[in-house]
Amino acid sequence: MKNSIAEHIALFLKDFKPFNYLSFEELKKIAESIRVLSLEKEKTLFKIDEVLHECFYVVNQGVVHLTVISDAEEALLNKCYSGDIFGLRPFFSKNNYQMTAKAREESIIYAIPIDSFKPFVSQNQDVLNFLLESFATNSRNDKENTNRIVSYSNPNENQADVSFFQTLSYNKSPLKVNAQTSIKEVAILMSDNLLESALIVENDLVKGIVTDADFRMKVATGKHGIQSNIENIMSFPVLTVPENISLAEAQLVMITHNLNHLCVTEDGTTSTLVKGIISQKDLINAQANNPGVLLKEIKRAISGNELKNVRQNLDEIINTSISKNIPLNHINAIAGEVILSIVRRSVEIAILELGSPPVPFAFLSTGSEGRKEQLLYTDHNSILVFQDVEAEKYRDVKDYFVQLAKKSSTMLEQAGYKHSAYGHVASNPNLCKSLSEWIKQYNSWINTPGETSNEIFTIYFDYELAFGDPKIETEITENIFKNAKNSVLFYDYLGNDALKKPAPLNFFKKFNLEEEGEHKGKFNIKTKALMPLIDGARLFVMNMGIKGINNTYLRFKQLAITDEAHAEIYLECAESFLFLSRIRTIEGLKNDSDGSFIDIDELSKSDKEKLKQALHAMDNLEEIIKDRFQLTQFS
Amino acid sequence: MLDWLKHIGKDYPDFWKEYISLFEEKSKRYVALTLETSGTNPKKNVILSFAAIGIVDQNIIVNDHLEFSMNDFETEADAIQKFIEYIGNATLIGHRIYLDVEMINESLSKINCGRLKNEALDIEIMHKKFFDIHEDKPISLNEIVSNYKITQADKNSNADDAFTIALLFLKLKSRLNIE
Repeated sequence: MKNSIAEHIALFLKDFKPFNYLSFEELKKIAESIRVLSLEKEKTLFKIDEVLHECFYVVNQGVVHLTVISDAEEALLNKCYSGDIFGLRPFFSKNNYQMTAKAREESIIYAIPIDSFKPFVSQNQDVLNFLLESFATNSRNDKENTNRIVSYSNPNENQADVSFFQTLSYNKSPLKVNAQTSIKEVAILMSDNLLESALIVENDLVKGIVTDADFRMKVATGKHGIQSNIENIMSFPVLTVPENISLAEAQLVMITHNLNHLCVTEDGTTSTLVKGIISQKDLINAQANNPGVLLKEIKRAISGNELKNVRQNLDEIINTSISKNIPLNHINAIAGEVILSIVRRSVEIAILELGSPPVPFAFLSTGSEGRKEQLLYTDHNSILVFQDVEAEKYRDVKDYFVQLAKKSSTMLEQAGYKHSAYGHVASNPNLCKSLSEWIKQYNSWINTPGETSNEIFTIYFDYELAFGDPKIETEITENIFKNAKNSVLFYDYLGNDALKKPAPLNFFKKFNLEEEGEHKGKFNIKTKALMPLIDGARLFVMNMGIKGINNTYLRFKQLAITDEAHAEIYLECAESFLFLSRIRTIEGLKNDSDGSFIDIDELSKSDKEKLKQALHAMDNLEEIIKDRFQLTQFS
Repeated sequence: MLDWLKHIGKDYPDFWKEYISLFEEKSKRYVALTLETSGTNPKKNVILSFAAIGIVDQNIIVNDHLEFSMNDFETEADAIQKFIEYIGNATLIGHRIYLDVEMINESLSKINCGRLKNEALDIEIMHKKFFDIHEDKPISLNEIVSNYKITQADKNSNADDAFTIALLFLKLKSRLNIE
């Protein structure tokens, strides 16, 4: 009989590994044996040491976290999203589960009975390989293979140490030559294969090694002719290491023996088969998750997907840095730089595709990116300013830049940025204008701020040049400060805007939680705690004519110097801002969200107190705002 | 004196007797079901197609399903018999299940059977209970679904609806702590 539900499930499965190796008919057969489960948030599917289930699982909707207990703390091993498989242990082993699977969100899970899937595994090598691979990556805390492995809960555990003990990836098919090959031949082989080392083997057992250095020192100096046998210049004995050597061990061996290459053999002695070669470069690559390397990768990226990889690596860096308690303003600075260059690269790629721009322009990141405070995947805001052109050319020029902005924002979306909900991106024709139009726009915001009150225009006052002509940026800045100087109305508006945000604490000093909607019972840290500080900082900075500082933290710091009378309050605000951003970032990383809504109950008691204190800083800031500006016209 | 009761019983078709006998035990099985009908009046309208899927212990059993339209069978009686055999003594789940039950009862009466004995749970009522809605306003299935994290298939066939109802039921069941 027809079973359209099974068909739908098969349709869903066929897009994911390992199911894509199977035919649709086979999938339908599997789908018929599936059970569908619905997991509430925080519900556990299986626990460490629980008896194995008779099935493995596929996530249909939602997110499942796999965790292990290490050092008496729960450490996150992997997050499973739609299409990911987990719980593969019953395939390969008889002992109980080694990890805990828990729904982080409301999830729908397909349970596939092992018995009905096994026949397909034995018939299909690809399926088996994939299962083995996923089983290995899910069960071992191996950073290299699963990009998303992260540990949030233990700030004291040193992440660097963990990655230090990861296994290395190295060249598993080294160049092997026999001892009688001529030096010339070996050199040609090495050059052709872009290798810097070769192993001299006899019956697959390693005898010696030659590297670039040997050619330099022993051949180029004239000690040996290029026709003589390679064994004359090889270094031996070769230092061998076992296959599963860790990064740390390999490094130690290299340093103690002052070597650049290690030969990998089956059991680590010279009497077993050669498995590969580790060079110093491999070690460097293994440690490559640092911002400098990311920047380099961005410069080389040519597609949205590559940018996405970089952005994911950045997440990991942010995550590690936060758990290591690195000051948040440093993290902000680094992440800001990386994100800015992602945006820059997206514009560059767009230019490569469209041809060079007709007139100079500036692509400005606005909002949180403009302030360099963006640690999470939030939406990307930007504007584009191009130099004034004659009226008849205007149309074509604008057309080009709108296209450019569109291409770049599509690229950023591919890289994982959300599409801006309010259309605050440069591809919006209203935000892609000539310099004089923009100046006019800013002036109207400054001089008649109330009129366009529906728009959130304040984000356009935080900008950072991502790409283009710095002169244009300077011109806009000059203009803003010149005009804003005397506009009482403008400050009045900004002041009101900063103060009208809903109060974070109620009369009884309890948190004002969301009363309805999707985030019922949570605390909106973005609008109730962070925004007032950001708005406040911007207001003062503009009022005091402080140019060139876009970061909220640094703004408060600068304010404390400029306005000494209230220095204490500003400094308090600066610290509060960092604390609040930190909480938001942790929340965001944990849930892959923008972290706006935090669950107060999940905070520790001391964090809760700190949070209240941080919110208190805003009260003081509010007093200065009220004191300094006449907030009568809009209130 | 109670002979007349036995006589009535004897008039029933065999499958119906078997069905009745199932109710000596309580079932752990639930069946989420949707009917496609020509209208909502049981007297005038007819059932066009069935779709149903079974739920046991918080699991939707994909293989435990029934899906047919009346045209698949020669007579309506055959279809109804198939349906009765499928549901057995399971608890029925549906969106406005009472309408469905009425429709089925009407069809049953045409072939000399009694009324359905299954317990029935209504998704709409459960939803209203969970959200504490007291208004009488009817809520469509799509509207209910939008309150839960369930993405529906693009084309809404009868079977999809049954599956959606089953998912809703699982979610509501754990939230309302129904055992």
